[in-house]
Amino acid sequence: MIIIVDGLNKHLFQPLLDDMFRLRARVFAGRLGWDVNIKNEMEIDQFDAMDPGYIIGVDENMNVISCARVLQTTGPHMLSDVFDAILCGEAPVRSASIWESTRFCVDTKRLQDRGSKTAVSRATSELMLGILEYAQESGITDIITVIDPIMDRVLKRSNNAPHGYVGQTVPMGKVKALAALLDCTDERIARVRDFADIKGDIFMDEDEAVLKLEKRAYAQEMSLADFNLAGDLSDQITSKPGASTGDLQQYCLDQLAKAETEADVNAALALLDMLKEKIGADDVEKLVRLAGHGSTPRSEARLV
Amino acid sequence: MDLHSLHDIPHSEERFTGYLKEICETFEFDDAAYAGINPVGGTMHAIVTYNEDWQNHYQENGLHLIDPTLHSAMRSVAPVDWSRLGRNANFRKVFDTARDFGIGEFGMTVPIRGPYGEFGMLSVTRDCDAATWKKLKRNVIADIQPVAAHIHDHVMGSEPLTKFLHHPNLSRREKEILQWIAAGKSQQDIADILCISSRTVEVHLRSARQKLFALTTAQAVGRAIGMSIIYPS
Repeated sequence: MIIIVDGLNKHLFQPLLDDMFRLRARVFAGRLGWDVNIKNEMEIDQFDAMDPGYIIGVDENMNVISCARVLQTTGPHMLSDVFDAILCGEAPVRSASIWESTRFCVDTKRLQDRGSKTAVSRATSELMLGILEYAQESGITDIITVIDPIMDRVLKRSNNAPHGYVGQTVPMGKVKALAALLDCTDERIARVRDFADIKGDIFMDEDEAVLKLEKRAYAQEMSLADFNLAGDLSDQITSKPGASTGDLQQYCLDQLAKAETEADVNAALALLDMLKEKIGADDVEKLVRLAGHGSTPRSEARLV
Repeated sequence: MDLHSLHDIPHSEERFTGYLKEICETFEFDDAAYAGINPVGGTMHAIVTYNEDWQNHYQENGLHLIDPTLHSAMRSVAPVDWSRLGRNANFRKVFDTARDFGIGEFGMTVPIRGPYGEFGMLSVTRDCDAATWKKLKRNVIADIQPVAAHIHDHVMGSEPLTKFLHHPNLSRREKEILQWIAAGKSQQDIADILCISSRTVEVHLRSARQKLFALTTAQAVGRAIGMSIIYPS
């Protein structure tokens, strides 16, 4: 599934963004050998401070498996300010209808370790689709994207060939880089979907993503090496030795107490709701009261 | 889309407000507002079509300080549908009273970022039901992007310093394609001549139009000739 993170909701997704920056460090500094800044094993540049749009692919356990970043070409972006070598001194493309997509990458190692040959290809197509559909819904007609020649071949092989190129191919790190153009038309979207056999909505709703991230944090805190967000998390948690009802209560209370926004509160309440049978319904109400959220109508509705 | 270019509208105080009204008529919105900030000149611009009562109420209560359609929307790269802001307490503060002034809460804000840190936002609103709004938004969203950029560029360009910074910087390819258009060639002809796809020609034309503050290719060619970027054939 694809999650869109931007300046409006990024405060809800910091752990996801950190994972994304770590993936980018492994791919762009490691595999591609680009000259990028790495700090705390994360690759973050000046454009990340400009509230770009992030398209993030996650697996069923909310692990980041792919990501890309979009910027408006009317403002500062990589081709205008950093990748000018590609443009050979020419002025960049600038249009309110065209976004630039950069830092496109897929966690090939994680996906290949699972032994599935199609996983990488599917994740690549899903991410591509995420960019195209997000852009199209935003009234964007075309994407200009900085890629390496391998990615260019991947695009061509997956029914997603660029309709053109801008500038020239230049050496960058261990590879080369070039700027390709992709239209955000229904036809292209249908071709990519057809190739990867992707049907239905690929975007994860913001509320659902927040809740799943909360569950992931909980599973990590309880040291569940292998958990399944789709299954009954409470069974997995309480069947683990060491995670007592007291721990659960304390954790839930902490989450409620730490909640700063309404979305945080709702995520914490949803977690409580999910675990209420294990903790005991009376205790849940007590916890909610303790955290000072007992009087809101919303929490009562959630706990019925 | 049948909008005038702002070049064709004479300079006056009503110029931009009139243009916003034309945007509303063209796209079937009730009201439109543009807000722009230019750190180069340290200036702010606000142009609205809202009724005077609402403007006064908005000013007197300092709603511009909390209005999330301004403060949140500038942090997005995509147009922000106001439904995304519904949970924001400040959104309720602004829009619970807006209804009393005949202003609905279906709307969106289109953010435009400029190359020097200047940014603008075009907000449009319509008092209607959810289904109508959804359909309207889907129909106009691709057309509203260049229009938002057009008004932003013209407002920013009304300042001498910014006008200087925004001198059109066209690439060789963009000039070449405009020159072929001036010579009467079609987009497909040009694609064949340059051995590129017609869609790629369109991308260069979009970029050229944006850089020349034009909404149509004909306007762009006229401007480019006027500025001696290309030559009349």
